[in-house]
Amino acid sequence: MAGVSMKAIKTRIKSMSSTKQITKAMEMVAASKLRKAQNKALESRPYFETLYAAFTDIAANVQDFSSPFTEHREVKKSCYIVIAGDRGLAGGYNSNILKLVTAQAAQKDFCVMPIGKKAVEYFRHCGVPIVSETYAEAAEVTIGDCFTVAKLLSKLFLSGEFDEIVLAYTNFVSVLNQSPATIPLLPLEHLGKTAEKDGGSAMLTLYEPDPVTVFDAIIPEYLGGLIYGALCESVAAEQAARRTAMDSATKNAEEMIADLSLKYNRARQGAITQEITEIVGGSEA
Amino acid sequence: MNAFHLQIVTPDGLVYDGEAVQLSVRAISGDLGILANHIDMVTALGMGPASVRLDEGSAPRKAACIGGLLTVSNGSVKLVATTFEWAEDIDKQRAENAYQRAKSVLEDKNTSERDLKLAEAKLKRALVRKGVANSI
Repeated sequence: MAGVSMKAIKTRIKSMSSTKQITKAMEMVAASKLRKAQNKALESRPYFETLYAAFTDIAANVQDFSSPFTEHREVKKSCYIVIAGDRGLAGGYNSNILKLVTAQAAQKDFCVMPIGKKAVEYFRHCGVPIVSETYAEAAEVTIGDCFTVAKLLSKLFLSGEFDEIVLAYTNFVSVLNQSPATIPLLPLEHLGKTAEKDGGSAMLTLYEPDPVTVFDAIIPEYLGGLIYGALCESVAAEQAARRTAMDSATKNAEEMIADLSLKYNRARQGAITQEITEIVGGSEA
Repeated sequence: MNAFHLQIVTPDGLVYDGEAVQLSVRAISGDLGILANHIDMVTALGMGPASVRLDEGSAPRKAACIGGLLTVSNGSVKLVATTFEWAEDIDKQRAENAYQRAKSVLEDKNTSERDLKLAEAKLKRALVRKGVANSI
């Protein structure tokens, strides 16, 4: 009897150590990818922040003209740009961002522009209309792709396909902390609301050559830039989340192996003791 | 000459953050020069050479600046470009190669409308970069 359980324990230890090997390897891969993604995120951050700040400024001061991009219109349909990961096993990374979007958009009629395989799969499963499935590999989306997405979305926005665009991504706060967030991109009016108004004094701003031309030219730039920035953040956050998840998985596996080894040794000792007792009993008889 | 605060950022990172006395760039409506105490302004950038004079005594630094926008608010200038490369950082050989490649695509009669537009943009970009790189 002891032999059977010993064998069972041994197989479990074996399978556990191969699991551990896998999680360990995944952790290392994520760690090295994280370093690269983190650099990229840090490099793009000033761009992201400056761009965002410049547009909150613009949005706060826009009042003397109406451009379709700034104009208020009733929100009938929203478009969510959702950036999630390509693969699972990254802790709560994918589910956090998808849950946030679902909760926020629950009351609305919305469509999505998913970036990342997990986002595509999730929204297809939910039956939410999808704008384009071209960008299923978040890690392979380049800045050029971001501008293509931006142009596509601003065209659809202008044609009235939807009345607001919201960007959902994961903020890379630190290696141990990632928080999902959404920012309203269009119309710019929303952006103005989130910005603090300083004194309410209307600043005169010169638009060269004229507001409509400037806005037509810079809106796709703005969208593309923000999408790219958010993408860099999200990719770094994904790797960080995966690294942490795999690190704890490895630790758990180690703990279980230690636990099982103890049981195994006990069982072995038990078997030996039993054998000795049997021999001694036999010789006495 | 008065100095103003200038920030130049691209998706690849912060290019410059500090004081400058003069900036000239190519906007969509033509070349544009910015000095200190400029009125608040927003404009979109085209493709072209840019130059920044960091202080009065020095010669302007040349760069190739492509796409993006320029904002002036409260006297500080933000140049948010798609690409911004200092003249000395431009790889002349790469610019030349890109130029030749774009040219050969344009000369090919079978290219689609979309590829043609792409190649045209690439050609313009390569020309700007070549021009800037050769100007120093």
